[in-house]
Amino acid sequence: MVVSRTRAELDPSGLGGIEGLVRCEEFDREALGERITEMTHTVYPHDQVYGPFITIHAHIECPPEQVFAYMANPYSLLEWTYSVRDLHPTGDGDTLVGVDSGNTPIYCKTVACKEALTVDYHCAWDQGDELWMIYLNRIVPAETVLKRPGSVVIWTNCRHPYYKENPFPNLSKDPKREWVGDWWPLFYAGHSIEFQNLKAILEHRHRLGLPMGPCLREGRP
Amino acid sequence: MTTVSLLGVASYLPERVITNDFFAPGASERRGMFTAPKTRRHVGPGESAAEMIERAARRLVEEQNLNPVRDIDVLFTNVAVPDEAFTGCGAEVARRLGCRPRWILDLHNTGCVSFLYMIELARSIMSAGEARGALLCNVQNAAGRVFSNEEVRLQSQAPVPGDGCGVGYVAASEASPVLSILHTCHPESASDMEASAADGRRYWEPGLRPISIRFTDQRVASIIERGNRLVPESVRAACTAAGLHTGDIDLFVSNQPNPIFLRNWREALELPREKHHDTFDSLGNLFGAAIPINIEDALRHGKLKANDCLALGGFSHAGDYTAAAIVRWHPSTRLEGIDGLG
Repeated sequence: MVVSRTRAELDPSGLGGIEGLVRCEEFDREALGERITEMTHTVYPHDQVYGPFITIHAHIECPPEQVFAYMANPYSLLEWTYSVRDLHPTGDGDTLVGVDSGNTPIYCKTVACKEALTVDYHCAWDQGDELWMIYLNRIVPAETVLKRPGSVVIWTNCRHPYYKENPFPNLSKDPKREWVGDWWPLFYAGHSIEFQNLKAILEHRHRLGLPMGPCLREGRP
Repeated sequence: MTTVSLLGVASYLPERVITNDFFAPGASERRGMFTAPKTRRHVGPGESAAEMIERAARRLVEEQNLNPVRDIDVLFTNVAVPDEAFTGCGAEVARRLGCRPRWILDLHNTGCVSFLYMIELARSIMSAGEARGALLCNVQNAAGRVFSNEEVRLQSQAPVPGDGCGVGYVAASEASPVLSILHTCHPESASDMEASAADGRRYWEPGLRPISIRFTDQRVASIIERGNRLVPESVRAACTAAGLHTGDIDLFVSNQPNPIFLRNWREALELPREKHHDTFDSLGNLFGAAIPINIEDALRHGKLKANDCLALGGFSHAGDYTAAAIVRWHPSTRLEGIDGLG
């Protein structure tokens, strides 16, 4: 973004033809109040909140740089996820392959940006050519947003159409295997549990001054 | 604790029906907190709260076959805009009904949930052995007395209130038992509603501008949050205290500040629309009179039947009190034969 040093003025014609904008020039406080009151419910159906997207967030008592370093190391997934195990290089770039939920192959590529403190896991079951299960993570210094030490971690998944139906059914050896996307309605809970693992591991090691991990030992070649 | 029963309700509505053209242009298009009902009633200039109570109570006395002298030991009133500045109207009501209650309590608090607060107080007094029957009287008259003023009626909130009187009869009896009843005071919300005039004067100070009632502006968001949260919470607590679940509720009757709160409460309690009876669209915000008036309206529409689990709940003012109750409803049209009365 380039910000000019001179005072910028909005040219309203740029918004011409765009329907449905709610801006104070057309909607006074009262009209806005009506709208937001009507939109505010006491409870929201699960599907409305966690239907197309699932975002979870937590404060972690551990500095953002250390959280970033830990999350950016793909082998950390062996520690904090429920069932991603046996990760090793595929030989194809940075993509690793392991197993998930027993013996399903899971391919995973970690895309991290140190400057932005983002760590995205691009994954897929059964094949590594189209990594469509994407776990977006953003780490924010808690000092800036909560005025307290540590990190805020925000984790979002988007409901890619493949969650609905396995695009490569013939890659599965077990025809009775459950598809990962069938579990979408329970992802909020499942991801929250894994997020608690992440938080517990990072807070424990940070509190005791231990190496942040992941704790790995030399495996078989 | 003595078991008390809600044995019957009756209501009186002022004759004057006010449509939305009485208010500021566009009143019927308003949404949110100030959604306007289609109609509401307004008390006439000379109509007293005591007179409204008398009209409703005479019907109840007749339907319940009450002998006012014998059967009304306690008389409660709650009036939105009291007839007189210093005195409550309970004594005047007793005079009109020809009863001689041992206790008269003119409540100035608990507004929209005062009907429930009265039931709970009646139970305490009855448990102490000091009374057997209580007449509960709620009057909402702020619509005609405050919001019909030619200046006030142009305000956003003016179309919402509607006037009416609801009364109920509670007795030490197991016939139609109150299975649980609870209330909570939230002192932190005590000062978020005010009666004020545009010229800044206090209501007792002389001036030319009319008095209106409103929420303090900066508190609106937190009042919405409070109302949304507190009412389902207290209905759930009342269910638990009665050994029931919200799924056992056959009919829910609440106060009716606006359709948004009504929607949010039943969503939070997972109740279908037909299990939550209200009269908002025709009568507006009836303040404390809503609960007894709506119970009677539900009976009239066949929505409340014998042995139903009747849940009552609401909050007052800007959230200073919440209350809820569960009643195992058994209507009684004649008092004779009820344990311990007479």
